[in-house]
Amino acid sequence: MAAAAASNAAANAAAASATPSTAAGPNNAIPNATAETIKQLTHARNLTLEDAAYYNQIVPSVLPIVGAPAAALELKRWGADFLAETFASPTLSADAKTGLALKVLDTLKAFLGADGNTDEVDTGIAKSAVQTAASVYPLVFRHILALQYRDGITELRIVDNPSDASSWQKMAAIKSNILRRMDSFSPGVRICCIKFVQRVVQTQTPGLIADPRRTENNDISLALVPRDHPLIPPPNLEAEASGLLDRLLSNLHDHGADALIVTATLNSIGSLIRTRPSVATKIVNAVLNFNPLKLAGEQPISSRNRVIVKSMERTTKALLLNIIKKNQNHPLAGRIHAYLERLHQARAELLDESAAASRTKRPAPAEPVDGLDPAKRQRLGAGDAPSTAAAAAAGGAGAPPSPISFAQLYTLTNDQGSRNFDVQQIPVELVVRILVPMLGRVDHAQLDSAVNSVRARYLAISQQAAAAQQAQAQGPGAPAGIDDEDDEDYEPDFQPAEDTEQIMNKLDAAPPEAPAPTGPADPGPEPVPSGPTPSSVTVPVPAAGPFAIPPPPPLDEEETAKAGSSTVDRVLGLMTSLEPAPQAGKGAGAAGAGAFGKGFSRLAASSYDRDAWVTVVARLATRVIPGEGGEDGVGGAVKNEEGAGGLGGDLFSARGSGGFSLPNMIREALCRFVVEDFRRRIDVAIAWLCEEWYVEKVAGMAETEKGKEGAGRKGGGGGTPTYEKWVLRVLDGIMPYLDARDKVLIRFLSEVPAVEKSAVEKVKRLARDPERVGLAVNTLLYLIMLRPPVRELCIDALEDLWRNYEDARAPAAKHLAKWRPQVLQQQQAQQAQEGGAGAGGEANGMVTMGGGEAVKRKAMVWAIAF
Amino acid sequence: MSDVTQRDGTSSAESGGDCGGDGGGDKDGDSFKLRFCTVCASNQNRSMEAHLRLSSRFPTLSFGTGSLVRLPGPSISEPNVYRFNSTTYAAIASELAARDPRLYRANGLLNMLSRNAGIKRSPERWQDWAVGAPRVGPAYAADRGHAGTEAGVVDVVVTCEERCWDAVVDDLLSRGAPLNRPVHVFNVDIKDNHEEALVGGKAILDLAVKLNEAAVEEREKAGVQGWDMGSGEARRGFDERVPDILTEWQERWPALPALWTLAWF
Repeated sequence: MAAAAASNAAANAAAASATPSTAAGPNNAIPNATAETIKQLTHARNLTLEDAAYYNQIVPSVLPIVGAPAAALELKRWGADFLAETFASPTLSADAKTGLALKVLDTLKAFLGADGNTDEVDTGIAKSAVQTAASVYPLVFRHILALQYRDGITELRIVDNPSDASSWQKMAAIKSNILRRMDSFSPGVRICCIKFVQRVVQTQTPGLIADPRRTENNDISLALVPRDHPLIPPPNLEAEASGLLDRLLSNLHDHGADALIVTATLNSIGSLIRTRPSVATKIVNAVLNFNPLKLAGEQPISSRNRVIVKSMERTTKALLLNIIKKNQNHPLAGRIHAYLERLHQARAELLDESAAASRTKRPAPAEPVDGLDPAKRQRLGAGDAPSTAAAAAAGGAGAPPSPISFAQLYTLTNDQGSRNFDVQQIPVELVVRILVPMLGRVDHAQLDSAVNSVRARYLAISQQAAAAQQAQAQGPGAPAGIDDEDDEDYEPDFQPAEDTEQIMNKLDAAPPEAPAPTGPADPGPEPVPSGPTPSSVTVPVPAAGPFAIPPPPPLDEEETAKAGSSTVDRVLGLMTSLEPAPQAGKGAGAAGAGAFGKGFSRLAASSYDRDAWVTVVARLATRVIPGEGGEDGVGGAVKNEEGAGGLGGDLFSARGSGGFSLPNMIREALCRFVVEDFRRRIDVAIAWLCEEWYVEKVAGMAETEKGKEGAGRKGGGGGTPTYEKWVLRVLDGIMPYLDARDKVLIRFLSEVPAVEKSAVEKVKRLARDPERVGLAVNTLLYLIMLRPPVRELCIDALEDLWRNYEDARAPAAKHLAKWRPQVLQQQQAQQAQEGGAGAGGEANGMVTMGGGEAVKRKAMVWAIAF
Repeated sequence: MSDVTQRDGTSSAESGGDCGGDGGGDKDGDSFKLRFCTVCASNQNRSMEAHLRLSSRFPTLSFGTGSLVRLPGPSISEPNVYRFNSTTYAAIASELAARDPRLYRANGLLNMLSRNAGIKRSPERWQDWAVGAPRVGPAYAADRGHAGTEAGVVDVVVTCEERCWDAVVDDLLSRGAPLNRPVHVFNVDIKDNHEEALVGGKAILDLAVKLNEAAVEEREKAGVQGWDMGSGEARRGFDERVPDILTEWQERWPALPALWTLAWF
């Protein structure tokens, strides 16, 4: 029923158009009949909107109406818009579109004047027609290349079915027509041509193939075309695409001042960058070579340029950010970041947004609205007070009655006009340009006297105010800062009032005579600040006086510890916040790679990223301040602590030996930090432990030099007891959470500077868990193979595993066979000797027990030694 | 609630309204109209005020770019949060009215929500918008400014905050422009409060009227005879005039910093 309605509507439209097509006269007065036709057509279109299935009937029946050479302009426009809409519609399947696409090519050609009938094309029609062409092009392309897959013998098929060949020829004619006339079209059409070119480039550049057999699921690209396709030979098309891409990108440079063309280009190439890796680098490079701020170079900037430069800049930024966001490991990410940074700075300089904003956006009232209310008086920040003019001798000494603002304090002129002038209206660059030569020429004596008079004034005011100030300080507090910014959003701005003490601190910090020398003492036309400034914060003046904050009460030990640990926590919190986002996948690995990418000459902690903080924190912990740890520097501190806490010493062990120890607190916090998320933070642990090891080695060497041999070596193990202790702590922390396939342990043990027996013991203990036997054995094997210094140690451990851990037997035997075959042979020999299976088993059991005993004893020895 | 506020922006707002007046009040009937779309964070205040204004003359849609609809609650830390698309304005209004009628009447939320409920059914999220999917049927028919938006595309997008503009441009880039259809994306920076939204709504209407004038001129001048008619400015096409129209608009509305780009659906 509905289908009938659809064809009815189209048929009616056709009938209605029969009459007017002959009389299609003046365009502006739309003849009634045309209007009637359009009404019918619109009715038909509504049907398609309700159900996309109607497109199949309605598009073919509409084509003769709107495509007739004599059709009224309004009809053609309607038709062109309708076609553009049809092929853009997401509700219509690609296959249905392809079927229709082959039918509309003639009409499209006519719309664009590509059939040679006319050269004059209406802008509206051309826009829609080019849009349609852009949508249709990949569809026709796919249709042609799909022939190959439909039956093996393409060439025959094309010869057999000339309509396919001619479809492609028509499409090619449309393409060449658009490309040829692209530059002569009006800009409105040209942007559509840009999009068309982008589509062609996207189609004719190889993309990624998901499944070559199912072309309909793939992104349509040259990659789908067989090398020997007779109609669309890939090499030719690829060359054409490359040329077109150059043409597309040249828009950025040839039309750099035309924001319409530039933004249209930038916004269209985004999908090329994403979907065509083969040309992405070229495109991004072109964008990076584009300077959207070129127009801003001509000062002063016209308001038109300001708007369009800002628009181009933001569009460029949006495109680049989109690229980085999509692919964080983009090979050009570094350059993109640098470009964005540069752009940001350049814009700040050229467009000077904040100044512009304060000039145009909310100009501060020229006069204080409420001059008598000290709470509303606006203050110039001491730093930005662009100060003063002089008339030093005359007006100098007499300070205005208090309370006064800083502006008033530095105002030495009596000229009312200069007083009311708001210097902030002058751009900063200009001020600098005026001030610098002026300072060079200024009369030194005059400047001095001006400075002195301000100084005198300041002193007078401070003394005068001191008493009042103290009284006020007892009071309920200073007047609240008036929120001068218009409040954002619905929420009231949350700006707690400064309390008196803070304000006084601030004033204390302001150097009394600091800003004076920046001002020329030239009494001439130099403007004097007096007016309010937009950035002002109210302040109860005068607050300056000889006020000294009493020194804070000395912290007791517990407070110091608390403050220390909170500081450490904050630094670690900072590191957490600087961590690469978790979706970066192999977070730690990537971060490490980034650090190494910086080359050998980089300085530690020179950039404020996470790695830098890791270095800072680790060194804080390890390079103990002399005297901090006790009588003997590093070694002493360590020994004290060890004495108290033993191997498993905790944070408070140091406290026991008479003092809070910052390094240990930091170590504790670091250890916790690492364990919290050890998979991503194992690099932190390694960096930190390297520092530990290094410091102890250096200390050890120093001691050896002193000739006290053995002093630092009591603990054995090469004199790095602290290092060892913390390696074990970290291991203890992560071991329970390791799963059978974790590589973290291997990485950790292979990268820390030294592996001790105790650490190997811990690994061995892993093998108690039948699930993680493999992990333990693999870790040992890795160390055996790639860490020769501990090879023997690890082979011992392996042997022990083999002897004493039932589950580890098989894997350990496999490796032992290679590294210590004699053990296995011995065993076999033993077994042979024993003869009976039962007796062998018993012996085995005894050996096992013996081994276990030995291990325990060894562990105890180690514990004592430490 | 449209004419209540009187702020310093009002004088220019009036003049903006006037420009709108002579822009074609009489030829609004059948003539060509650009289709507009307004966007803010929650599709509640600024975009809806602008939607209301634009929809009296133009086909209009509106969206929000936030992840959720956020409305002020009893304190800063307890906003009222709702889902886009599925929660209706009426439902939000009735829930808030049940919770604390006095508070939400006093801060204008209930008033705003009832206005919104009169415009369309529920707040829509930009990122969820299937551009080009037809908007027909009873679900849309009652929306204000629906006539003309049946095809689900617009010619101009106006955002009310730079963050939203960034989100829209970024989203369009991510979609990969499958429709090959140009769209002008403007930003008009409006603070998120009722008063500024009113001023901003007027300013957006002013911009829309000027843009539409240019678009109509382009259509009228074209064709064979078109070259003899119209002159100077009017001879230039619509798209190329957009930067100039925006510049002039910015001079009329200096307090609302603007931004623009030509993006693709």
